[in-house]
Amino acid sequence: MKRPVAVVGVGQTQHSSRRADVNIAGLVREAVDRALQDAGLEHTDIDAVIIGKAPDMLEGVAQPEQFLVGAVGAHMKPMLRVHTAGSVGASTALAAVTHVASGLYERVLTIAFEKQSEGNAMWALSPNMPFMPPLVAGAGGFFAPYCRAYIQRSGCPAHIGALTAVNARANAAKNEYAHLREPLTVEDVLESPMLWDPIRFGETCPSSDGAIALVLASEAAARKGPRRPAWIKSGASYAEAMWVPGRDQVSPLAGRTCAKHVYDQAGITDLWNQIDAAEIYVPFAWFEAMWLENLGFCAESDGWKIIERGEQKLGAHLPINPSGGVLATNPIGASGMIRFGEAALQVMGRAGEHQVEGAKTALGHAYGGGAQYFAMWIVASDQ
Amino acid sequence: MSSLRNVAIVGFAQLPVVARDLHRTSPEMLYPVVRQALADCGVERDAIDFQIAGSVDYMDGRPFGFVAALDVMGSWPPRLDLHLEMDASFCAYYAWLRMQAGDCDTAIVVGHGKTSEGDPRRVLNLQLDPYYQAPMGLDPVSTAALQASAYMARSGVSDRDLASVAAANRTAGARNPENQLHTAATPDELLKTPWAVEPLRSGYLPPVGETATCMVLAAEGKAESMCDRPVWIQGVDHRTELQTIGARDLTQSASARLAAEQALAMAGLQTASEVDVVELFALTPAEELILCDALGLDAQAARPVRNPSGGPLCGYPIMSTGAIRMAEIFRQLSGRAGARAVPGARRAIAHATQGHCLQHNIIWVLGTDRRWA
Repeated sequence: MKRPVAVVGVGQTQHSSRRADVNIAGLVREAVDRALQDAGLEHTDIDAVIIGKAPDMLEGVAQPEQFLVGAVGAHMKPMLRVHTAGSVGASTALAAVTHVASGLYERVLTIAFEKQSEGNAMWALSPNMPFMPPLVAGAGGFFAPYCRAYIQRSGCPAHIGALTAVNARANAAKNEYAHLREPLTVEDVLESPMLWDPIRFGETCPSSDGAIALVLASEAAARKGPRRPAWIKSGASYAEAMWVPGRDQVSPLAGRTCAKHVYDQAGITDLWNQIDAAEIYVPFAWFEAMWLENLGFCAESDGWKIIERGEQKLGAHLPINPSGGVLATNPIGASGMIRFGEAALQVMGRAGEHQVEGAKTALGHAYGGGAQYFAMWIVASDQ
Repeated sequence: MSSLRNVAIVGFAQLPVVARDLHRTSPEMLYPVVRQALADCGVERDAIDFQIAGSVDYMDGRPFGFVAALDVMGSWPPRLDLHLEMDASFCAYYAWLRMQAGDCDTAIVVGHGKTSEGDPRRVLNLQLDPYYQAPMGLDPVSTAALQASAYMARSGVSDRDLASVAAANRTAGARNPENQLHTAATPDELLKTPWAVEPLRSGYLPPVGETATCMVLAAEGKAESMCDRPVWIQGVDHRTELQTIGARDLTQSASARLAAEQALAMAGLQTASEVDVVELFALTPAEELILCDALGLDAQAARPVRNPSGGPLCGYPIMSTGAIRMAEIFRQLSGRAGARAVPGARRAIAHATQGHCLQHNIIWVLGTDRRWA
């Protein structure tokens, strides 16, 4: 990056299964208003708007950013619409970072949303590929074999998914914006119905309505703001092809490449001790162990041991998803940016009840497609 | 304007635009153009730092249509990547911005869309807000007709004037082998075509087609070795405006005007009339005249030459039409325009739009010379 970029405002909506009190524009506006207020800015201070969401089939509006121009205050401004499947919230924020880093923009508003109650997510996420039998039953049907392959090759015990889900809910109970905040027990999860073997109902993300907006600013603009900013130390989004012989779907090379890129740029050499909190994209509980390995927090096949030892809990050595993560809140298109925003809140010291004490450096992570798209950033309290 | 990085278009490949590429999927169409664009630049995929694609799921009729494009873009090992749900011209803007941020030196920018999988008029109705405008059944032809009649009422432009603008495009387009329509047409012939939606006749509207495109961008230092005559980006800006048809003055394009002012200022130009060629992404003759107004161009003047390619009225592949406008300027300024070459062209404007009634506009000022020292 040519020049420093900071997060100076974070705003998210109340997430729930059906926000019947607002339409799509109202939902997005709620996040935008909160982000601008948080940054102490007005719409007139914003130079460009970068917006992202997952497939438009989720709401049934093609390129909905076009009708949302008024709601997000983009009239007469540059606006771009990003779509990189599940990782989109994160890659959208990174596209906004580029705008400020280029030197051509001072303050950029970036937004991600999904209002899944407008449509049927199961249908929208079951693409019918040409010349292939329609085998995909939603994202869970697609990713269940990935989880099974992980369990088989790592020796991950059957209760790890439940431990992950229970911890996510315990954290979400401390997050006022989270969708699912009711506590769960390991027994609850293990007794819940099997949806896509090995993924049980209790190990699955919800379908949520929600939006998040971030205000990004140059160093000069950030220093004028009312709050301590979160400095973006590095960020990158990588993608890999699907049909590569020998491609490792359980621990994709794109994830490892992206992680190395952001660690190298941020000068991180000792993950375990330099990263204080991580918000990673875990739509199905098994992915938490999988991503701990893919991100390099431990050796291959050791990810589940971190969870079994409880080292990923809030208050333990490496808090993973202190917000409750995707398992508690999943407006798909917004989920990646919520990871980024929550990582920023941690290093700003403003995460409320789910604050990781003394967090100085945090990782935000999202993935999408057939585990092909990865987007990550490292944020820190010090420039 | 402070000094920016000089970035050039160094390669472009496309398939000829057709109504339906019967035997190929969207990725199958894209693969040969990616290979061709790289071969023209004399490089392999590893020489490219960044890739970006433009497509829209609703045109493919399925979610995640763009994911399959990763395979044919050479995404192994994994690549720095982004996908926009926008015309590839806007993708080129992001790639250019990334070079300004120092995050890459070279990029491929692809556009693809299998429009024949669905009914574009029906699909593009779904771009309108789902509460008030979409349920009325408005589609892009009917909203364009509202804009055309508003423009005619304000400007006094007649049906024959629209026919003349359309005929000029069709006549120029007969010289362009990439086009979907290759037949010249006279104003009198077009005036006899039936109303699509009054005041727009079927002869004033483009055939929707499909293609795949790949543009290669490179920063100074790399561009020179990839192309004998790189075409340099001298200025660019894009702006959007409210969608609501009833809340806008449809007789003009405020967003195109502002984008043009900003792009010209970046290029160090006073007016758009200082360029030799303009390629406008106008889907009706009325849009072309509204864009001329926004750019401050006299629609009757011989220079700059307007749409020597034939413009979108000779073929409208959704998601690539804006990229093709840039490509046409690349061809004009790098000696690749064949029978449609504009003699002595050194500087030009490429425009793209998306949304109903010219909602979002991007203006590129391109030239044979580097803008910044």
